[in-house]
Formats: sequence, C-alpha cells, structure tokens
Amino acid sequence: MDLTTHVEKYTIRWALKMGNSCSLYKFIARKETSMPNNSKIKNIMLLAAMTFGISAGFAVAENSTIDNVSTVTDEMLLNPSDGDWLMWRRTYDGWGYSPLDEINKSNVGDLRLAWAWGMSPGGRTQETPLVHDGVMYLQNSSHLIQALDAANGDLIWEYEYDLPSGARTQGVRSKAIYGDNLIIATRDARLLSIDAKTGQLNWNKQVADYKKGYSFSSGPIVANGVIVQGMTGCSKAQPGGCYITGHSVDTGAEIWRVHTIAQSGEHGDTWNGVPVASRHGGSAWITGSYDPDTNLILIGVGQPYPWNMEMAGLAPLRPGLNNDALYTNATLAIDANSGEVQWHHQYLPTDGLDLDYVYERILVDSKFNGKERKQVVTIGKIGIIESVDRTNGEWLWAKETSRQNVVLSWDKKTGEKTINPDTIPVAGETTFNCPADPGAHAWQPAAYSPLTDALYIPTIEFCSNTTVNSLDPGEIYTGGGRQTYSRVEHPDGDSNIGQVRAINMTDQSEMWQYRQRAPITSSTLPTGGGIVFVGSMDRKFLAFDDTTGEMLWSSGKLSNALESFPISYSAGGKQYVAIMANHKSGLGRLSSITPDIQLPPDNPATLYVFALPD
Amino acid sequence: MFETWPGRIWKAPVRPVPLRGMILSITNNFLRLTDTLFALAVSFLVTLISPGGVVLAADPEFFDVPFANNQWNIGRRVDDSKLRYCIDRRNPDWELAAEIVDAVAGALLLEPQRYIVKSEIVGEDLTKTYALLLEHCDILMGFKLIPGTYADWITLTRPYYHAKYTYVTADPDLLTLATLAPTRAIGPIMGTSAHIRLVSYVKALPAEARWPIYPMGTSELMLESLLNGTIDVGLIWAPTFWAKRPQDPAYAALHVIDSTPLPATTLGVGALLLSDKVFLRTAFDMAVTSLIEDGTITDIIDKFNFPATVNP
Repeated sequence: MDLTTHVEKYTIRWALKMGNSCSLYKFIARKETSMPNNSKIKNIMLLAAMTFGISAGFAVAENSTIDNVSTVTDEMLLNPSDGDWLMWRRTYDGWGYSPLDEINKSNVGDLRLAWAWGMSPGGRTQETPLVHDGVMYLQNSSHLIQALDAANGDLIWEYEYDLPSGARTQGVRSKAIYGDNLIIATRDARLLSIDAKTGQLNWNKQVADYKKGYSFSSGPIVANGVIVQGMTGCSKAQPGGCYITGHSVDTGAEIWRVHTIAQSGEHGDTWNGVPVASRHGGSAWITGSYDPDTNLILIGVGQPYPWNMEMAGLAPLRPGLNNDALYTNATLAIDANSGEVQWHHQYLPTDGLDLDYVYERILVDSKFNGKERKQVVTIGKIGIIESVDRTNGEWLWAKETSRQNVVLSWDKKTGEKTINPDTIPVAGETTFNCPADPGAHAWQPAAYSPLTDALYIPTIEFCSNTTVNSLDPGEIYTGGGRQTYSRVEHPDGDSNIGQVRAINMTDQSEMWQYRQRAPITSSTLPTGGGIVFVGSMDRKFLAFDDTTGEMLWSSGKLSNALESFPISYSAGGKQYVAIMANHKSGLGRLSSITPDIQLPPDNPATLYVFALPD
Repeated sequence: MFETWPGRIWKAPVRPVPLRGMILSITNNFLRLTDTLFALAVSFLVTLISPGGVVLAADPEFFDVPFANNQWNIGRRVDDSKLRYCIDRRNPDWELAAEIVDAVAGALLLEPQRYIVKSEIVGEDLTKTYALLLEHCDILMGFKLIPGTYADWITLTRPYYHAKYTYVTADPDLLTLATLAPTRAIGPIMGTSAHIRLVSYVKALPAEARWPIYPMGTSELMLESLLNGTIDVGLIWAPTFWAKRPQDPAYAALHVIDSTPLPATTLGVGALLLSDKVFLRTAFDMAVTSLIEDGTITDIIDKFNFPATVNP
C-alpha cells in the first residue's frame, strides 16, 4: 500500500473532522505527494505532518464553530436571534415558535435528513436541544452533556455527569443557557453550570436529597439573572410536598423557595385539616414561562398525591373545612428576583384523577371581550384550554378540545368547574373517566404562531376504567398513585387516538383538526414558513400547513416514537428542523391500547435533523 | 462554597479512533522506532483525556411494561444448581426472609445464592424489580399478596407467612380503636390495604363521628407524629413496627391496640418472580408447603419473635 495515499487519506479525513479548513494538513499532504519516492524523507515529512497536524487539529477545533459562540445576555434571551433556540420553548413567552422561513409551504416536501446523532441508548428522555450560534447542546438520559456542530452533527465536546447509584437514569426535558454557561438540572436534584465552550464544570449545587425521591425531570429557566427550577417526585417521603427555587447564576446558591403546597395558615386551610407533613404532591415538573414586563415567572403545579382523594386525606370532606388542596393544579405567578408569589389561579381543585394542570404557560396579548388582555394560556390533562390575565390572575375564558366527561360545566365568570361525580374514584368501585390518566393533553406543549394567531395543540382521545387499589405490594416497592387505570378507546371514538388541533386565539374557534390512529407524542412546532411540525408515536415526523391543516410532508419511519420537543434553528445560514426519537413515559402508556404500533425493544434514542437539499 | 461531584469531560481535538488508525497503519508499513515513540505519546494523550462513564440501571416512571437498562445484554443464567434470590435490607423482614429462602433452597437441593439490595432510596416503583429479577435473582422476597396489584410480567409464590397491619398509640389508656374519640386523628401509612379499609369504614359513619385521617408518607413520619401528638393512633404494617421499635427508646412508649370495630387487615407475604418462571414457582410453593408442615418456617418466625403466622 502506498504510504502517501494512505496518510493523505487519514490526514485529510482528520482535517475535515477537525474543521472546515485545515490548510496546514492539506498543504503538507500536497507537498508530500509531490516529493520523490524516498521513504526516509517521506517518513520524516509524515511525522512532521502528524506533529503539526495534532497542533493544527487543536487550533482548528478551538477556532471553529465553538469559538464563535457568543455570551448569552439578558437582551439575547429577551430577543433571541431567529436562528437560535436558547430555552425550552425558545422564547420567554412559551410560544415554541420559530420565525425561520427558509423551509416553507412550497418546499417542505423536499425536506430530507441532514444528519442524525445516536444518543445514550436504552434510557428514557424527552429532549429539547438548545442551539446557540451554530452549536447544539444535548443532555442524554445518562446525563452525558454534548456540544455538537449544529450544521453537521460533529461532536465538539462532551461532559459526563456521574449519576449516583439509585438515581433515575433518565433524561431531563430542558436546559438553560446564560452568560457563557449551560445550566443543567439532574435526576438526582442537582443544578450544574457547565462552560458552553469547553464543557468544563463551573459549579454543582445539590438542591434536595434524591434518596427521598426528590428529582428534576425538567430544567430551569433563567429570568432576570435568576435560575428558576421546579422540583418533582414529592409523593411519599417529602412532607409538605414540592417547591420551586430561585438560584444564583454565579454559584447556584438558593435565593428563594416557594412551596407548591400551601403551608400552615396560607389561604386558610385548603387541605381538609390535614397537617402540612401529610400533604403530598404539587410537583412542578414542567419549566415555566417569564413575563419581563412584570418580572413574573408563570409556572404550573401538578396534582396532589396520592391521586385518590381519600388516600390523600382530602375526602370525605370534614365539616367546616375546605379541600381545594392549594396550590395543586394551579398557576403560580412568582417574582423572579424575590420569589414572592404575586397571585395564583387554581384550575382544578380537589383533583382525584391525576389530571395535572402543570403544563405549558403560553403568554399571548390578545383581545377578550373587545379589550386587549395580557393572557397566560394553559391546557390541562382534561384538554380544556384556559386563559387567565397574567397581570392579576383573573380567569378569562375556556375552550374544550377533545372528548372528556370529567368537567360537566364551568362558570363563565370565574372558571369554577362542576365535576361529574360519577368520574371520581372511590374505594370499592370502578369508575369510567375520559381522558385516562396520561391526559387528553400531556407534557407535549401546544405552540402559538403569531402568523395565524393560533394555538397548535397535540391531543389524544381515550378513556379509562379506574379502580382504587392498595398499591402497597412491598414496603419499599410501591406502584404509581394508588389507582389502577385500565385504558380503553373512547366509546364514541373513531379509533383515531391522536389529533392536532388549531385553535384561533381571538375567538377560540377551531381552524382545523387532524386525526390519526397513532397518538401524537411530541410538542408542536410552528414556523415562519407557515409550517406546523409534530411527531407521532408511529415514528413519523409530520408537517402541516398552518392555515389549512393539510399534511405537506412526512418523514419515513424513524428509529422510535417521537416523544420530545422539535426545534428549528439555523447554522451556516441554513435552516434545520430537529427532533429526538425515544420512547419515554407519559404517552408511552398509550401502548396498552395501541398494540398495533410496534416500537423497537431496545428503545434507541436518536436525534434527527432535517433540512432542504443544498 | 461549591459542592463537588465527579464528572468527566471530553473535547473534540483528540479523536482516538482515527489516531489509532493512523498510528497502526504507519507502523505496519514503514516506521519503526519513531512511530512507536509517537504512538506512545499519542496514546498517553488519548488516555489522559478519554471519556469514561458508568452504566446505571433505569427506573421507569409508572410504566406498564418495565425496562432495565441494557436489558438485551443481560443474558440468561446457565447454572441451574443455584437458587438465586434477592433480599432488600430496607424490608423489615429481610433477615428472616433470608433464612426462609435458604431453607427453601435446601429443600429443593439447590445452593442458595444471595444478593442483598443495599439501596438507600426511600421508596421505589414496583417496576424497579424488573432489573433485579433480570440481573441478580430469580426470586425477590417480601411481597404482599394483594389481588389486582401485580402486572402480568410478574407473579407471586404462595405466602410463607401472614402478617397484619396494626393500630399503634402512645396513649397508655387507649386499648381499642372503639374508644377513640372522633376528634382524635389516625395516621395510616398512605395507600395501604388497611388505609383503604379504614377510609371505607370512616366515610360510612356520620360526619360528626368520623376520625380525622392524616396519611403518612413513611413509617418514620408516622412514629414521629405519634410521639409529638400530631396523631393519636397510627396504622402500620406489623413487621415494620416490629423492626422500627428497637431503633429508638422513645418507641417503647408505643403499644398496639385492638382494631375493633374494624377487622384486622391480614395479608400473606410471598416472593416475586418473573411470570415465565413457572417451574421455579411451583417448586418454591411445594417447598414452602413442606417447610410449613414440618414446622421449619414456624421455628424461624419464633426465633425472630416475628409478628406473623403461618397457614398450611
């Protein structure tokens, strides 16, 4: 074999890996190939090439994409570059909208795979990649943090956080970037600050004891220079439930703490007389939004634990007491700097069905009853869209989406709901409720497009025969929230379990609805090109016309269910759309009623990035 | 000021595979001493900054079908002369359970192979047992026989003992639940079969006759709440109370009361297996029956002064 050819192949391949222009390598390789066939001279030259090559390799990498990454300022977070995706839902208002329009209705049909990246296999994650200045940041289920060149998927650096034994080896839905650092939440309830250029750990802060069940399943938002992080896992050994904390971006030190369960004396007693130590739940397991005008974090709180009201001590209601269970299933409006709760609104008091109202908080300024209102919109598991004035917590309107039988009606002024008593689980009976526990709408958030003034909502329709069960099989090993849900299709359904719905924000009318057999398992992604992207449990990534709902493009079958948060970004002047394939929890529970949708047993996790051809 | 935790970092400039490829091919073709020295130098550099990592078990969240990390690589056992069993030190009966299963192994002429779960996690989802049953054992001791509780992927043996939930109080004058005033609170361990039975009874009473019920997340919280007066009566798995009581002198003030007017909630305790272990389950059941009949299990229970009974 000719050494010249061999070495040139490797040097160039390596050079190409190292950067776009490794002129030193190419120069030496060219020079070397033009020399006479003298092996000794060749060897010396080759050694020189290798030696210089290593240096050049470092130099190229250190001056390539990663070195162009700029410091993320407060101004950038307030007004991000069109090509960046700097936080969970891209912008503080939680829209999940990308203004990029290179990919549009006329050319989306040409979309094809640009690159893919295998992530830690076997774990479960619902990843939201972040992209800044052409660098993509990922958190694998193993807590391997990676920086990739967003244009081609080349690995730039990676940092592995060693989860302690016993902590869940699962992903965390989102992360933050601020200054020169990534802010990472871990499954063992720590916050990490990692240099975005080098992957070096800056600081590491333990927020709670994971051995007692505390955990982070979603990451933080950085608002006005404060890291705001919600806690989850407060179902057993966490007297007094969960909390939301504010932390210093410089050290991770805790600045403030807001309990998501009302403490003694807060708003009277809304827990049926149960002492604080016996109040459980209130997980803040989804990242909040931020209104810079009021400096308020708008964040959701989950349901009480156990799910069954009788088990939670909320029923039977004792005379003269209240069992609303504040602040479960509520929005908390928290001052980002002081941690003071300015207002709260509870959507579903006394929840006995695991029907969280913890999900997305979308901030939209829109007319209501002829007046412009600053609204915060959310959708609970029941699938009812609800809007509240985000300056004061006043309830504004609600709109039902998918079929449900839990809420019979609601007060048009206050939003107070009348619950169907037949759906409330009680010991010794089996009750029938729609939706089932994963919800008609789940952690996959809706998105808002300013082009159409519409919310794009992933929903599912299914029901459950629900039985209160004593799930105490072991002293340590228990199960769920102490109810058993036997999930079935809706009796009046058409077997199309998954839907995407477009709802006009001004008059709450439905613009279009797409229905299919497979559950919709990702968030929606509207773009400036008039496209709405969404992922499906049957391994397809879909693109719809944002005004008509016409399906314009579908990927081929990918490696796994698309249970994650698609994003769009630009790198090197080109628009990309990315989504991660993985079968996680949540709607993964629908597999019991969709056995026809086969998924790979080894649960691969893969990031797919699509773009138009060059 | 900063807390530390191990982590590993890797940066792009050094790529082990291409470098090794270069080094190997050059060595094979021409270079001798110089390339070897070069290879050593680069290898040292690679070693310095190569990433590392650990493989940890996954823990699904309320999954219908469990999952264990790398489950497709775990493989199958080949040594059928051993009875591989797991005991969990967090269970109150773990030492007693070990003696029982050792006796079962002896009855089956198998060599017992013990795996002790030493986790400090306070509570875990039942699906976490899947990884244990794949990796470490065929039998996991210490599970209550509760109808409708277990998914299809697991099964239970017959019970090797029966135990009950007990009402406990710090009030020396209180001897039976029947005399507990409706103003006084009961704190059951949350979500247990006995808790459901208590709630079902209480809600059948007139509102003014109902005891307040304060669910307790852990036995530690319940015992503490008894001592500080937050609750007047606790409801706890008798083996747990048996194990906790010697751990704190203050618990000596606590005593068990009669559950009247409620019947005692008694449950059988057996071992957990993957549902395809049909032959082992049958053999285990037969061995337990034999050991109950010959008094072996009773002797073990008596030895530990354990609050349980055996039923043929």
